[in-house]
Formats: sequence, C-alpha cells, structure tokens
Amino acid sequence: MSLTKDVLEKHLKDPAVFCCRRQKGLVISGADLEDPDLFEDMADAGLLALSKEGLTIEQVLGRKLETDTEALTPITAAMLDGINAESPEAKPESGSGTKSASGPEIKPEVKSGAAAGTGSGPASCRMIHVAIERLEGLKLDIPVGMETAIPQELTERTEKVLRTLKKKIFQVKDVIIADETSFQNGILKIDGKILKKAIKADPLVKDIKMDIIKPQQRHIYTDTIMDVCPIAAKAEGKLGEGVTNVLEGAVFMLTGVDEDGTQIHEFGSSEGFLDEKMFFGHPGCADPDDIIIRVETVIQSKTGMERRGPFAAHKCEDAVIQAVRDVLKKTAEKPKREELCRDIRKYGRPRVVLVKEIMGQGAMHDNILCPAEPCGVPGGQKNVDLGNVPLMLSPNEVRDGGIHALTCIGPATKEMTRHYFREPLIEALAEDDELDLMGVIFIGSPQVNDEKSFVSERLGAWIEALDAEGAIVTTEGFGNNHIDFISHIGQIGSRGIPVVGVSFCAYQGQLVVGNEYADAMIETNKDINGFENEVAGCSEICPNDAARAVQMLKNKMMGVEIKPAARKWSQSIIDRNNEILGLPREKIMDRI
Amino acid sequence: MKLTVVEGMQSEIFVPVTPEPVWTPLTKPLKECKVAFITAGGIHQKTQVPYDTSGDYSYRVIPSDIDTSKLMVTHGGFDNSDINKDVNAMFPLDRLRELVKEGFIGSLADEMYGFMGGGGNVDKFRNETGPEIARKLKEQGVDIVLCTGGCGTCHRSATIVTRCCEAAGMSCCVIAALPPIARQQGAPRITAPHVPIGSNAGEPNNIPMQTAILKDTLNFIEEADHFGMCRILPYEYRHNV
Repeated sequence: MSLTKDVLEKHLKDPAVFCCRRQKGLVISGADLEDPDLFEDMADAGLLALSKEGLTIEQVLGRKLETDTEALTPITAAMLDGINAESPEAKPESGSGTKSASGPEIKPEVKSGAAAGTGSGPASCRMIHVAIERLEGLKLDIPVGMETAIPQELTERTEKVLRTLKKKIFQVKDVIIADETSFQNGILKIDGKILKKAIKADPLVKDIKMDIIKPQQRHIYTDTIMDVCPIAAKAEGKLGEGVTNVLEGAVFMLTGVDEDGTQIHEFGSSEGFLDEKMFFGHPGCADPDDIIIRVETVIQSKTGMERRGPFAAHKCEDAVIQAVRDVLKKTAEKPKREELCRDIRKYGRPRVVLVKEIMGQGAMHDNILCPAEPCGVPGGQKNVDLGNVPLMLSPNEVRDGGIHALTCIGPATKEMTRHYFREPLIEALAEDDELDLMGVIFIGSPQVNDEKSFVSERLGAWIEALDAEGAIVTTEGFGNNHIDFISHIGQIGSRGIPVVGVSFCAYQGQLVVGNEYADAMIETNKDINGFENEVAGCSEICPNDAARAVQMLKNKMMGVEIKPAARKWSQSIIDRNNEILGLPREKIMDRI
Repeated sequence: MKLTVVEGMQSEIFVPVTPEPVWTPLTKPLKECKVAFITAGGIHQKTQVPYDTSGDYSYRVIPSDIDTSKLMVTHGGFDNSDINKDVNAMFPLDRLRELVKEGFIGSLADEMYGFMGGGGNVDKFRNETGPEIARKLKEQGVDIVLCTGGCGTCHRSATIVTRCCEAAGMSCCVIAALPPIARQQGAPRITAPHVPIGSNAGEPNNIPMQTAILKDTLNFIEEADHFGMCRILPYEYRHNV
C-alpha cells in the first residue's frame, strides 16, 4: 500500500521503505512508500528488515531514484541523487481540522473549548480553529468575536441536587451463627435455622451451608466464588435516595457446585484456598479485615451452565441476607459514620455518561437491576429478560446497590455485586467537579450478533439524544463482549463525541475486533502475564484505572493528544500513565 | 469548557488489524471431496479428559463414526443447554454422515478434532495446535475443513486453526455466530447463520436447519473466489435461555 498525505505527515521521521518495486528515474512521493504502522507486522512475518543506513521519509521525498529497487526495501543514500535535510523540530502532529483532501481548504470549526492541544490559558473561550491545507503546519486559534470580551464561563456553574442518599455505616466487630438473628453492640448474630427457610427459595438448590471466615482464617478451601455481596438495607425511601444502613467489616460470599461436584462458575473457576483465590481489597472483593459469611450451595446436577441453576443459588443466598437486612433496617445501634451520596446536575460543565456493558447471555451472564433492597434479588429485573437494551440508572441508584451481579465470565475480570456498590469510575466521575455525570447506562451483551448491533445502535441513539459531550465505556469479561464494547465505542465516537474504553484485554483477552474510535483505551489487567488468572476480582476496574480513564477522557475532550497504543500489551505503559498522573504503582498479581 | 489536562498519556490497549490473506481454492466438485469438521466449541468424547475452561490449547480426537450420544461439551463461555440437547448444534456429525450418504459430499475424514477455544492462547494455537491439526487433516487427504467456534475468543481460536488448515492446502470455512470476529481475525471464508453462540451449526434437533447450514456452507466454499468473503445465511434461531 502507498501512503496518503495525512499518514505521510505523521511519519516524516519514520523509515522510508518502498511499498512496491520501483524503477530508476522515479521521483519519490508518498505513493511509493509503505505505511510505517505496518512495519512491525511485516518484520514479524519476515517480510521486512529495516536497515541502519535507512533514510527517513522526509529525507527521501522528491528525490530521484538512481537504481531499480525491489518492494519492501529500506531506502538508503546510495540509491538516491541526494538527501533532504532533516527538519529540526519533533515529529509534526496532525492537528484537528486538517484533511487529506487535495487542494486548498479552510475549515472553521467553532468549539466551546480551549484551543486543541493546550490545556492552560483562558479556558472556556470560544475559539475558531482554522487549518489551511496548502500552508502545511500552520494552525491558527482565533477567539470568536475578538472585539468583545467572552465571559469566562458560557453558562453559570450552578448545581442542582436531584436526590440525596445517606448511607449509615455500622461497624461489625464479630459475626456468630446463633439461634436468632440480631445486631447489637457490633455483634451480628445470624439464626442458623434460616438456612432451612432459604433453601425453599428455589427447588434447584439441593443443599445450603453457612460458615464464618475470619480475616486470620483465609487459608481455607472454598468452592468457586460466585459473588461477594455487601450487607445493606433500606431504612427509609427507595433505591438511590433516603437512608440505607450498611454493615462494614462483614460481607457475604456465595459459592456453589452442582450435585456432581462440578463447580458452578466456569470460564475459569476460583475454587481453591481462599487466600490465593481472591484479590482482597479490590472494589468487588472482601477487604483484608472483613469477616466473610460464606454461603455454600449445591444445585441440581447439570444445571450449573444453564441460566436457572446459578440464579437459584443467588436467590437462596439472598433469602439469608434478607434476614440480616430485616434486622439492620430497624437497628438501634449508633452508626460509625454517615456518608452522603448526591446525584447532582452540574450546569456549566461538560455532560458525560458512563456506559457499563454487562453480560447478557444467560447462564451466569446476567444481572439483576434495581432490586427492592440494596444488592438484593427480589423486585429486580434481569437484563437478559429486558432484551439487554440500554437502561439508565442514576449514579446514586448504582451506589445504593442497584445491581446484583449473576455473572461468571472469568473470576478475575467479572464485576461482582460489591463492585457496583463502590464502583471506582462512578465515584470518580460523580465526585469530579469539572464534569457533569448525567447517569450510568447499563447495556447487556446479547448472544446473537444481530442483537449486539441492535442494542449498540440504541445506545448510540441515547447518547445522541442526551447530547453527551464525553463518554466512558467499560466492559467486564473479554471475548465476544468485545464486539459490543468496540461497537459502543464506535457508536459514540462516530457521532463526534470523545470516548474512552476500559476493559481487560492484556494478553489473553486481546481485542478480537477494533475500529478507529478505540484510540483512548484503559487496560484493567493486574496479572503479571496478562491472563485471566482465576483470582476473583483481580483484574476488575480499580481506583487507578478509573483515575486514568477520567483523565484520558478529559484530555480527549480538550484535544490533547493521546499517544497510540503499542502493538502488544505492556504493563510499562500502564505504569507510566499512572506515574504521569501521580498515582501509586498498581499491585500486580505474580502468583502462578 | 474547562478541564484539567495532563500531557503524555498513551492508549493502553492495542486495536487489532486483520492478518495477511491465506487462500486455497477448491479444485474439485463437492461430491468428490473429503470433508472434516473441527470445532473450538469445547466438544469431546465423554470418556476423554474435559478441557480446562479457563484456557486450553490441547485438542481431542473425535472419530467420525462415533455415536454422537457419546459426545459432550465442556465450555464455560456460553449457555450449554443447546449442545446438551443436541451436540449437532455445534458439531453436526450426524448431518455430515447424512450428506455422505446422500452423495452431496464424497467422504468424511476418519478423525476430526475438538478443542476449547475460549480464552485461547493465541501463540499456542497459531504455532502448535493449529499446525498440528492442519497436518493431521492434510495427511488424511482432506479437501474441505469446516469449523465452528463458541464464544468470542473461541471464534478467534477457531479462525487461527482454520487459517492453519487453509495454509496447509485445504479449503476452509468458519461457520460463525460472531462473524465480526472471524472477519477481523482473518478467516478465509465465513458463513453466518442468525444463531446464538452455542448453536453455531443450527437449532438443536432441527435437522432441516442444520443440514441447510452445512449445504449452504459447502456450496459457498465452491463459489467463494477470494479471501475473507462472508455469506450471511437465511436461517434464524433464537433461544430463550
């Protein structure tokens, strides 16, 4: 292939290599040269060997070829009538507004933002951004209406609180299985007899057990970890507002096998010693000091990979949790602290949306949305039954346990129920004073390709109707859901809306599809070899990932260049991005 | 708009490009061809060691005269209920034997191969498993290789192995539930019925649909004249899990 003008401009400092055989006498132009972006592939395939004597593209353009030369040959001084001088400045960037079309073009583009490529200066000035094709390299940024002063803010930065949620946090000092359920003086007692009632919640559950795992007892065998669920109960109001009582220091953990002993969560199972099979402290996981209330279920033989089986296990666990919620609702204990979560419309700041792709393909690829109780099961709707279409939740609804996760999709990359209860991206966006987070869109990943397109196009229509100015798209898992993920990014990006993607890809989950809008991407892998390592919660979205995603979105919205990804996953790039943002180094799992 | 920016960030995830074309044209009529079917959808004999569902690049031999009731699926990437009902939904061996009887194709390879492509190690499939399956099929005199995948990374693994077979001199087609992945990963030919992952070869126990998908795919192999062609097949099945 030959180089188009805009590709050429990006690569003036890269090696010059003939794309096809060329004959003596040729005056070299971009049409004769191979795209440097392909060099690595070609070198891998043994098609190309770059030479130290090789010249750069800017050194050869317009020069005459003195000898017949084969395709994919680096151009050296010996082949030419002379060499152009190298330009002193760094690799030129192609600014926004330039076009590859030939002939003069003046394209004024009015942006309600600062000049592209700069982040300082009088922000909020309206600028006319002009790029003139014939005068290469010239860029002008001219304030709109130079004679009049433009207000610093186009719209006044006012705020409207839409709803407030108070989370009353109660510290759990100990958990005991007893003859009654109560919460007093920080001691949570759970009536052991509740299991007899809980098992009746679904006939597919054949056995259910419960035990308590203290922080110092983590080296204990566990069946695969299906979910980690916070203990939270509505004391006043409905999901997303009013008062929710939350227990701190204790969480439920659901495990399961079928009657034949087959682990329920497959695509990598996390059964084994608990201390090796959970990334303690990650958002979806138990914290190091948490007391874990383990509910172990046995479901009907061969129903583990069918939708009804795992759901039955979640239902029965929830019946146990509900007994605790009923006590927690009415507790007379004094809360340790209170947290206020507010859904705020921040006028005068760019409107952004968080899009969370969730699994939507049946067995262990499903979620319950908006249950009656925080993180509960009854009263909620399953996204698979809803056709996986995009649904909007307010940030507060999510932070109040609006999602109960039924997903498996690989222990390390799934988002468990606790993840949504303290989703780092929602926290980062909701608390960011520069952005107006409009809401969180949940969109399921259907099993059928046509349906993937359908739901993704509906997402595009939503984003357009919302007039969003920026979006972050995340997905749990990897594989076929990346079709949807990339399509969502395309739906948003093709509408001219800056978009950042967040996913586990690394080595094992490297993208199976791609498009041109997926140029600002955040990797959530925390495994040293880039694999789904079967450690629950290892590679889910963590606070560092969220911080990078938000900053990358801001950069993209302001027109600040995001360097293209390297051709292969490398932790060093992630480390460097963290370093640039002053974030702590990410803890990487290096156990086999 | 006033936003804090930080210079120097780099995108962290590579977006793939489709690999080089690989192409073997079919040179004889279907009724003279020896056909093999391979699948990345986790099919194996009940007596064999199940696949490691977190990622497994080993493969299992499936004799083409085996009773299909002796086959099963081990795959965590999709709802297995369709294959549990009828293994032909992923690995349509009964239909292929009928096509031989009917004279639509010449014969079947004695040995076919199953693997579990979900989360598949790309290098291992590209450099070890794929070439080995291709060599074994070629040694059996196979002309046509058909392949199904299950989940997304399965389609990637399926396509990698299919490309190895095409490169070894057999005409191959991926029957894809997720054609974008097969296309992006460089499948030489693709047919795509409207089916969910897990039932790539047609609705369970729907013999006419399974047969039609196979026949259309085989005809397409005869007609396709260049790399990367994709034909959407007019068969639709939705399952309500």
